[in-house]
Amino acid sequence: MLSKRFGRMAAGSIAGAMLMAAAACGGGGGETGATSSAAPSAGASSEAPKTGALKVGLAFDVGGRGDKSFNDAAYAGLEKAKTDLSADIKELSPAADGSNRGELLRQLADAGYNPIIGVGFAYGEDIKKTAEEYPEIQFAVVDSASNAPNVTGLLFAEEQGSYLAGVAAALKAKSGHVGFVGGVENDLIKKFEAGFDAGVKSVKKDAKIDVKYLTPDGDFSGFKAPDKGKVAAEKMFQDGAEIVYHAAGDSGLGVFQAAAAAKKLAIGVDSDQRQTVKEANLQPVIMTSMLKRVDVGVFEFIKAFQGGAKGGANTVYDLKVDGVGLATTGGDIDDIKDKLDTAKQDIIDGKITVPTKP
Amino acid sequence: MSSDTLAAVEPAVELEGITKRFPGVVANHDIRITVEPGTVHAIVGENGAGKSTLMKILYGMQKPDEGTIRVNGKEVTFRTPSDAIDAGIGMVHQHFMLADNFTVLENIVLGAEPKRAGMLDTARARKRVTELASSHGLRVDPDRLVEDLGVGDRQRVEILKVLYRGARILILDEPTAVLVPQEVEELFQNLRELKAEGLTVIFISHKLDEVLSIADAITVIRRGTTVASVEPSQVTARQLAELMVGSELPTPETRESTVTETVALTVSGLTMEAGPHHPGVPLEKLRQEGARLLLDDVSFDIHKGEILGIAGVEGNGQSELIEAIMGMRPAHGHIALDGADINEWSTLKRRESGIGYIPEDRHRQGLLLEASLWENRVLGHQTRAPARRGIWVNRSAARADTERIVKEYDVRTPGVDTLALALSGGNQQKLIVGREMSGEPKFLIAAHPTRGVDVGAQAAIWDHLRNARAAGLAVLLISADLDELIGLSDTLRVIYRGRLVAGLDPSHVTPEQLGGYMTGAITDTAEES
Amino acid sequence: MPAGLYRALLTVAGAVAAIILAIAISSVAIIAAGASPGAAFTAFLNFGETERAVVNSITTMLNRAVPLFIAGLAVAVGFRMNLFNIGVEGQYRIAAICAAFVGSLFTAPSWIQIPVIILVAAVVGGLYALIPAVMKVTRGVNEVIATIMLNYIAINLAAYLVRGPFTGKRAEGLLTTTTPTLPESAWFPNLNWLFTMFGLPAPRGGGLWGFLIVAVLLGIGLWVLLERTRFGFDVKASGLNSSAALASGVNPKTMVISAMVLSGAIAGLIGLPEILGDKHSFGSNFTPGLGFLGIAVALLGRNKPGGIAIAALLFGFLDRAQGPLQFASVPPSVIMIMQGTIVLLVVIANEITSRIALRREERRAAQQLGRNTPVEVAA
Repeated sequence: MLSKRFGRMAAGSIAGAMLMAAAACGGGGGETGATSSAAPSAGASSEAPKTGALKVGLAFDVGGRGDKSFNDAAYAGLEKAKTDLSADIKELSPAADGSNRGELLRQLADAGYNPIIGVGFAYGEDIKKTAEEYPEIQFAVVDSASNAPNVTGLLFAEEQGSYLAGVAAALKAKSGHVGFVGGVENDLIKKFEAGFDAGVKSVKKDAKIDVKYLTPDGDFSGFKAPDKGKVAAEKMFQDGAEIVYHAAGDSGLGVFQAAAAAKKLAIGVDSDQRQTVKEANLQPVIMTSMLKRVDVGVFEFIKAFQGGAKGGANTVYDLKVDGVGLATTGGDIDDIKDKLDTAKQDIIDGKITVPTKP
Repeated sequence: MSSDTLAAVEPAVELEGITKRFPGVVANHDIRITVEPGTVHAIVGENGAGKSTLMKILYGMQKPDEGTIRVNGKEVTFRTPSDAIDAGIGMVHQHFMLADNFTVLENIVLGAEPKRAGMLDTARARKRVTELASSHGLRVDPDRLVEDLGVGDRQRVEILKVLYRGARILILDEPTAVLVPQEVEELFQNLRELKAEGLTVIFISHKLDEVLSIADAITVIRRGTTVASVEPSQVTARQLAELMVGSELPTPETRESTVTETVALTVSGLTMEAGPHHPGVPLEKLRQEGARLLLDDVSFDIHKGEILGIAGVEGNGQSELIEAIMGMRPAHGHIALDGADINEWSTLKRRESGIGYIPEDRHRQGLLLEASLWENRVLGHQTRAPARRGIWVNRSAARADTERIVKEYDVRTPGVDTLALALSGGNQQKLIVGREMSGEPKFLIAAHPTRGVDVGAQAAIWDHLRNARAAGLAVLLISADLDELIGLSDTLRVIYRGRLVAGLDPSHVTPEQLGGYMTGAITDTAEES
Repeated sequence: MPAGLYRALLTVAGAVAAIILAIAISSVAIIAAGASPGAAFTAFLNFGETERAVVNSITTMLNRAVPLFIAGLAVAVGFRMNLFNIGVEGQYRIAAICAAFVGSLFTAPSWIQIPVIILVAAVVGGLYALIPAVMKVTRGVNEVIATIMLNYIAINLAAYLVRGPFTGKRAEGLLTTTTPTLPESAWFPNLNWLFTMFGLPAPRGGGLWGFLIVAVLLGIGLWVLLERTRFGFDVKASGLNSSAALASGVNPKTMVISAMVLSGAIAGLIGLPEILGDKHSFGSNFTPGLGFLGIAVALLGRNKPGGIAIAALLFGFLDRAQGPLQFASVPPSVIMIMQGTIVLLVVIANEITSRIALRREERRAAQQLGRNTPVEVAA
């Protein structure tokens, strides 16, 4: 009798543990980051902070370091600060359920780190609270706006990069039919759509653009659903789209698979996905990728802090500082380089203003 | 003491100074038994005297702490039952270990299949089984499914199974417990044939008449040690019983009638379907539709001060009858307690209204083994004094009342906080009887009230039942022990395939007659008592 | 020694032995991960250098323990009856969002507002647990399967509600979605005075959650209910031996329904410490997975409120070290390894110690039997 009960309990706990793991995968905030940073940080190890002038703390989002994506890109920027600015650095990952984001920030603050960077919009609220508690410390948050005097919002002009992606797509798509797959229908991803849309229309006024968001605002599973991405892209290719641009995180893999199956092309996002996608058969379909240089953002913020900059505002990383751009791996867009450079220069010069809302 | 050995032949089994220290049950202490080959040797003793432990030691399921075992003169050490099987010892368990949906043949060879090129060699297996069956007079059809067999047939399959593995020494653990008298006689015939073939049978029992009729030698165990070795011709059943108990023997006689005119419980037309219950469907319609009925139109009255005994082979509707009366399973028909229709009442309300229940399986239905004695006292009385005080369990009152039961019913325990499973079967049963007699019940269901308890506890329980009956309690007694039924009951009914087939007068009926009704061999509806 | 005390001491000894063994096993894992066990265990015990850091660390540990404790209680109510309410996860999430939303709809004095929110959470959790209970008693659907399925429904329903009907105003530039912020009268007062009265600095963040007091009262109340009342007795009887309970007049259907609803109602409170004490809304950052952790906590705590409290504190203690471990360059997954091994070993230790205790009782009962030796009769 005892052993039977124990067996049931053990089975129950195992089932629970499995579900726990599943929940951990499904929960947490997503990111637009797809795969790998420009500078993978293999072998980098953190050291105990020395009593130096610059002690930089960084808190990752769920998934933490080693996600070959957003978090790793941020870490690359942190590492650059260590090499170039001789900063002491410390990076922390939250628990799988993300319950201790605030605690991590406070622990960094208590340990004397300044500035402190939260990676990902999920830190928005926690950064605000912590910043109010530690007014003497400077904070930054990636992908979320400044919401306290000592918080810098590190934002990216995704619409500008997407504009260039749109120009490239329009030039390459003979029929003028392209598509956009967004992971989650929130303001951030809408910026991608708006820029892409403007870029395409700047080349071909009558171009047809299919738009599909995988999940509505607030449901971040759209960033982690390659199956949904695949279905959406398949539909677009069937309808005649030649190139599909995705801003859908991990779901982008499905877009690439659909493109490979339809023998069409796709545009990646965040990092140079032609390099980071593991499947060799998918690499050639990635015409280019819209780069979002989180590493640049992190590094530039640290550098500015060292120069005495204070928070309270957002810093937007745009084409001017190469915070966004297009990847050229594979040489698929080398033939239209001139036109892209012209568009880029026009944006930098202010001749073109890219909209942020579609 | 007469355990003189014949010098010429080596004893088949010789146990010397077997001691087993084992917490909780009566340990074996300095057991000495000599079993001559080609005999039926009975080992008798009360439940809990240490017979089972001894058998487990002999069958390699447990290792003795001290002492030696010699088989055919050779000293052996058994680590597992397979060691014992290798030494030619086989065990026929009290509870059959057969796969119901296999044929007899498959069951016999299961685990020792003759193989040819990795496949079951059915032809060879069949030949061997048929040989064994005919040479030992154990007639069974090898191709029948075990689920279709009766109890006696199943037992023969068990014996064949043991013989098939080459056993020359058979241990039979309480083999007659599940048999009706006719089947017992058949079993004994088989055993005599086995003996004639030169096999040795060790026969464990506490049914002394049977032991006296079949055994060539008898060893009596009491409190874990061998107290006597006797020959059946030299003792009477009564002497043997006194050896077992170590004191005067009780009898279940209750001749002076206390039956009153007042009806306590009326059961009429009680019918239960095997499948899902269809409320409101009349019996005729159920019969027409060919529904399988577990209870078929069962009706009886029990008066105050009356014990109504229900005899029957297990599985003929006894459990269902109890479940229907207790309200644990829906049934058609009417049940009235003290004139009040209780059909719609919950089990709890029935209990509160004065129905007590000594369950047939105390571990399954009667006790919370992992709870203390006083919590077990509360069980079934959680809504009544003394266990209840408003929404609370009245712990001190429950404890005090458990102390009372422990004293009045002679429950041997270190205290009322002891867990129920630490007690021996007899003491657990006495606790249950004490509990069910608490709160002045009007009607008591006593299902196998003395099953698996020692003779001392049995006598005490019988006394309590008799006293309660004298005080006006109506009792429904369901038992497999025919002596108990005949001795205690004022009225006897036989249940067969869900129907009450006979009403008998316990003062005239014999166990053989009862057995005839129980097995369906006698079908005429006998005279009402 | 009284049997009860002996059993309790044995249990504690078993748990301590299991934890020591778990530490040894975890050390091997830490070495395998290329870190030093010494550094790891120092990090676990390092609550910080400054007073404020120590206060913050203690607060983090307690704040983590509070929802885990409630989750453990919720699971334990079912476990006691051999009911596996895996659905605590879904129940608390759906209850949390409903309570957060309802609480944001009105403003009343704290002594009304907070109890109403707590009540809403308990009712929603209880009703959500009623679904699998009804399915079990009417159709015999296994509660494990039903609750797992209902978890998915609840999680997705909560995600839908928070971005749809229940969504609140979002601060400029923020991407997280939340329900409308609760009025200040719904903010549960913190217990920071526990620190400040000793001259210590107040903890940062949401402070020491005042819901701690509710949790303690809940634990005591549940203990009284389970150990002292008739209902508790029926639960225990049903759990230990359902057929004996049935034969004793305990209605199994009523018991399944009431135990599941009670379990769900308690589960409904799991999210409230966080919502009332810190976040003041239900949002996409709401802590998930507490229901599943509750299973581990209940197992560790042997389904007894006192044990669950210790288990929750142990989990809180381990989880707190997430940051310090990383400061010490030890992979924080050590925490999960330790939690897993501790749960497993403690369950095994419980089994062993309860068997030892049973043996001892049997021996004592047998001795009692031996004292009443009747007079032997000569053969």
